[in-house]
Amino acid sequence: MIQKNKYLIGVIALLALALFTVPCLAMEGPDSIELDSLAELYEPVQFDHIMHVEAAGDDCSVCHHHTTGTPVQDENCIGCHANSGEADEVACSACHPANRFQADYLNKIDENYRLNHVDKVGLKAAYHIKCMGCHEENDAPTGCQDCHTRTEAGDKMFRSGKYAPKGGNKSRKSGH
Amino acid sequence: MKVFNRRNFLKGGVAGGAAATLLSKSKDAGAAKSFGGYPNSMGVLVDLTRCVGCRSCEAACNKEQGLPAPDLPFDDTSVFEEKRRTSEGAYTVVNKYDTSKDHPLFRKIQCNHCNEPACLTSCFVNAYKKTPEGAVTYDPTVCVGCRTCMVACPFYVPAYSYSSVINPVVKKCVFCYDTRLKFGRPPACVESCPKEVLSFGKRKDLIKIAHQRIRSKPDLYVNHVYGEKEVGGTSWMYLSSVPFDEVGFDTHLGNQPIISYVKEFLTIVPMVLTIWPALFAGFHLLANRKDSKKNEKQSITNGEG
Amino acid sequence: MRTLAANGKTPINTLEKGDSKLMWTVKEKLLLGMTTQEYMAQAVRNPFNWLLAVIFAVGLPIIIGRFAFGLGYVTHSSYDYPWGLFLGWGLFVMVPLSASGFMLGTTVEVFGRKDFKPIERLALLNGLLGYFFAVVFLQVDLGQPWRLIYPMFVSLGPAAVLFLVAWHVATYLSVQVAELVPAFAEWMGMPKLKKFIKSMIIGLTIAGIILSTLHQGALGALFTYAPGKVHPLWFSAPFLWFHFFTSSIFAGLCMLIVVSTICKKSMAWRCDANFTDNLDRLTLGLAKGATLALITYLVIKIIAVAHDSDWHYLATGWGQWFMLEMLIGVILPIILFTYSIRNNLAGLARFTALITVLGIALNRLNTALITFNWKLYQEIPHWREVVIVITIYALYIVTYRFILYRLPILYSWKESKDV
Repeated sequence: MIQKNKYLIGVIALLALALFTVPCLAMEGPDSIELDSLAELYEPVQFDHIMHVEAAGDDCSVCHHHTTGTPVQDENCIGCHANSGEADEVACSACHPANRFQADYLNKIDENYRLNHVDKVGLKAAYHIKCMGCHEENDAPTGCQDCHTRTEAGDKMFRSGKYAPKGGNKSRKSGH
Repeated sequence: MKVFNRRNFLKGGVAGGAAATLLSKSKDAGAAKSFGGYPNSMGVLVDLTRCVGCRSCEAACNKEQGLPAPDLPFDDTSVFEEKRRTSEGAYTVVNKYDTSKDHPLFRKIQCNHCNEPACLTSCFVNAYKKTPEGAVTYDPTVCVGCRTCMVACPFYVPAYSYSSVINPVVKKCVFCYDTRLKFGRPPACVESCPKEVLSFGKRKDLIKIAHQRIRSKPDLYVNHVYGEKEVGGTSWMYLSSVPFDEVGFDTHLGNQPIISYVKEFLTIVPMVLTIWPALFAGFHLLANRKDSKKNEKQSITNGEG
Repeated sequence: MRTLAANGKTPINTLEKGDSKLMWTVKEKLLLGMTTQEYMAQAVRNPFNWLLAVIFAVGLPIIIGRFAFGLGYVTHSSYDYPWGLFLGWGLFVMVPLSASGFMLGTTVEVFGRKDFKPIERLALLNGLLGYFFAVVFLQVDLGQPWRLIYPMFVSLGPAAVLFLVAWHVATYLSVQVAELVPAFAEWMGMPKLKKFIKSMIIGLTIAGIILSTLHQGALGALFTYAPGKVHPLWFSAPFLWFHFFTSSIFAGLCMLIVVSTICKKSMAWRCDANFTDNLDRLTLGLAKGATLALITYLVIKIIAVAHDSDWHYLATGWGQWFMLEMLIGVILPIILFTYSIRNNLAGLARFTALITVLGIALNRLNTALITFNWKLYQEIPHWREVVIVITIYALYIVTYRFILYRLPILYSWKESKDV
């Protein structure tokens, strides 16, 4: 039942997307996504989906693993899921947990322990590993603030900007 | 629990040295070797191949532990020009290493939270504790400041607040025990890491994960999990794409916990305590036989021995 | 004092003044039977006192600074070298050089070699003061010295080697105080106290042997906590405690030879014939004991290198340093001691004892500081650290001299006729 419901919701969502957004070059997908689930130290990222689809040469699997109909490529997954077909969800956050190391999530993977599943990275890491891996290869920007502006809370934590330590550049002696 | 048996033996040996503890020694000493840490203790797997040196962990640690302001902002990468170590103002630091690969690697340094910590075993006021959650915590209210723990730590982790006059104490990472780990939450550095360089979980699971990563990407990783076995195993473990000595790890520490080097001396303590008195009293009687016979013949006038 | 003695003044060595029944007062005994003016005059005449005055003038303010501004003021605040000269010299060198107390206690009381009696008290005093000042050095080094009793009563960590050191040094200090009580009792005129201690002297001596064996060894065992930091040639998990223990035997004996030589040369007025006339014979006797210990030490040093298969390190720079230490501190003394014993040369034995003392100091400093962290950088102590060490050592010498001048250590107390 649940599977069916999910499928239904997926279809409705797809329809809605088709109706209300301009379809992208490759297939149905948003122009731009606001990545804000982790926004605290940094402003939410306006992710230019269209531009990145182009950059990926219309190959969704560069970012989306097997979720958009392309075959599974990850060495870790291919052993069991070579023929599993398209997944129900497209969004990164559907699979990659935002609470990766919180007790409730750790307990959940403990209950259904599978070696190939327990090392699935959390949402923040999924973004950063995917984005930065590609950015490095293509000489795209990789600095933190190249993609997201730091908030005041972020400045405070990094002791930067107006929270920068006073007293100039004297470097702390490393215990000597 | 085995470790407590062993400790009790050592306690008895050092403090009292009763014959009973001497007898119980052999079986406990054998059992001691098998202690591999608390079964459900937590740990962190550090994957050096993922780290980009953003120093978010340093910033998060500074905030979480209420440490003093650094000399340079945490987004200043000029700190990578020198190799830093943990200090009274920084419980964790990230260093940059030029490697045999075409790119540098970054390595985070903090307390590794050993299964059998050298600091703990060397402390004569029991200031350190290995909690079942895996943290090695420190009680500053009993610390005398002998700094043996700093001598004993094979990783050069504990720092000392020499600048304090009234209350100098040891400063080191405590796995965010009081604020987070105790409540089942990951330490601040883990939570702040953008690329999951730091994976938090049960230590025994992390070991499996680490080997699974090596298996799935044998070309990327060197086939070693640093900390799985080093000095008896540590709660923090590391994966690297270059040999570990290239990124500042001491690869000559061996797999024995530090206490095992000290045990050779500790085992002779009860022996000296029990055998010496009899031995030397015997020597005395032998050496002074003639004197005492002479004395006996005379009346016992003075108690000189 | 020497001048005064030459002028016919005899130092106090009995309870009563001259032939009269009048007793010396404590003040008179403290001033060595001189008037205050006489005492001050002889103190000012002594150039060594001027040297001490300079040391204290520089050093005492720095010691105050250490407690007013913290350890960071007097040391480099090193995290990599948590132990500097305070412990490197004050604990690891002072303690083996103070092993004389238990060595001579054992010789005289346990083995019944009463012929060593003239030097026994000096050995005991050397032990007591060495330990006491090791604790003073420790108090300067500890971050929170006011918590010194914590390992005893507040929070116990009995599985730690330092716990053993703390307890044993503390109890051994009391044992040594007790062993010296007879000298004090004679001086103060308390015969009952002396008799009480005499009745348990064997127990005290054997306690001294046990405690010394263990804590001398324990000081070495402390470094087995740092297998990767101490250079392999100086490190040996099974033998390090034994190295420290064995070397403390000849260290204590040689220190006793050195101290007795200084006493004979610089305070001859205080030594009685029993001490002076026997000293050459005793020096050679001590040298014999030291030679045996040196040979034992040399053998187990070599065994330790073989056991850990450290031969290849000998070819390195550290290896040459190691061989130099062994050559000067062990092999040369063995040769010179043997030669001096064969040919009855007390003077050569004295010189050799000095070399041996320096050699053992080098060994302890090598283990604790110089080869420590051999894979890292070398730490040069802060100049204030050096000044404090010199100052406290000067304080040690002053205390030593103060007691030798007064208590019957180098001379025998003349018992009153009617007590």
